[in-house]
Amino acid sequence: MEEYLNRGIKEIIKEFPKIGEILDGYGIGCAPCSVGTCLLKDIVEIHDLSPEDEQEMMGRIAGIIYPDRKMEIPLRKKKTHTNKEIKYSPPLKKLVDEHRLIKRWVALIPGIIKKVDVERADDRTLVLSGVEFIQQYADRYHHAKEEDILFKYFDEEQDVIKAMLEDHKKARSHVRALLKGLEERNNAAVKEHLRAYAELLTEHIKKEDEILYPWMDRQLTIGQIGTLFTKFGEVDMKHQDLHKNYEKIIDRFVTE
Amino acid sequence: MNGFNGCPGSKTMELRKNNEEEENTGKITSHLRQWPIQMHLISPTAPYYQGADVLLTADCVAYALGGFHRDYLKGKSIAIACPKLDEGQEMYVKKIKSWIEDAKINTLSVLIMQVPCCMGLVGLAREAARQSDRKIPIKQTVVGLEGDILKEEWLSA
Repeated sequence: MEEYLNRGIKEIIKEFPKIGEILDGYGIGCAPCSVGTCLLKDIVEIHDLSPEDEQEMMGRIAGIIYPDRKMEIPLRKKKTHTNKEIKYSPPLKKLVDEHRLIKRWVALIPGIIKKVDVERADDRTLVLSGVEFIQQYADRYHHAKEEDILFKYFDEEQDVIKAMLEDHKKARSHVRALLKGLEERNNAAVKEHLRAYAELLTEHIKKEDEILYPWMDRQLTIGQIGTLFTKFGEVDMKHQDLHKNYEKIIDRFVTE
Repeated sequence: MNGFNGCPGSKTMELRKNNEEEENTGKITSHLRQWPIQMHLISPTAPYYQGADVLLTADCVAYALGGFHRDYLKGKSIAIACPKLDEGQEMYVKKIKSWIEDAKINTLSVLIMQVPCCMGLVGLAREAARQSDRKIPIKQTVVGLEGDILKEEWLSA
């Protein structure tokens, strides 16, 4: 089992597709992950299942990998299991609050895709304001807080962090392709990259809110939480009113 | 008739248990790094509070929590108080506010016992935080009478 605990999840699911279904049954959605290099042992650790659920799930996984062997999975004593409403530390709660605004924009994308025609100047302006929100708020403000501050508290070579950074890169490439599509008046390309961006960000935010941030909260010391809060506060001071201004812009999008 | 009468904070209970197998041998290091510690005696701007992670703990906590020094006090500055018996608690609010604004403490952890009267200490911390312009993360930990951690949560900053 040790050998499989130290293997990338995508590789394991490729070899044993049934394991993807088992993980899914415990709310661990690794099967559709775009990167999938996280090690099985890290995935088990990061999802913080109850000791009983973890024992049961690992028993089922072992049964798939070694169908001829009877394996006893011990019940692991855990200090931190919290199978209840997620309560974030104040700095991570700030990031979750920022996600709420990004999700409001993402929720508008299907409606925009339906009606957008890049030949029309008004529609191009609409898409460009969305792109500006993505670049200024989602990327330069929110993702920069993660990349320049939060992730520095962790080993950035860990697969879970690499997967998040990969998502950020993909989001940026969709934005570039979107802008190219606008420039070339390519309606299909604009729609395709808007849709891809929305899908990517929806999944990315879900992973961060439900898995990554709670895991990070369990790893950070109280002193680190305090320093993070101060550093995020300094970024917020530099970008005073950015959140409020974009909230107003998104409100306007909703009513239009 | 229901056996429970009166204040749970002063209800008599025996908590004896067989802990022989958990006994440590050898000297246990103290992680206390300052004096004084009683809330009326401390100066909130003393050097050891500057930028510190501060533990504000109810008097009884250190007796109930077996790993108090190692798990909670280590690396932190401290003040102790009893929200039920201490007088002049308005001074406590001023001192907590001064920790936040003048000493610019990094975080505040409030450790209380599970008895209802202990919640008063969290109330003092909340009030001081409400009055402060500077915001910091505040964490509340509730300790059971048998030394277990019943609740650990962040209060909004």
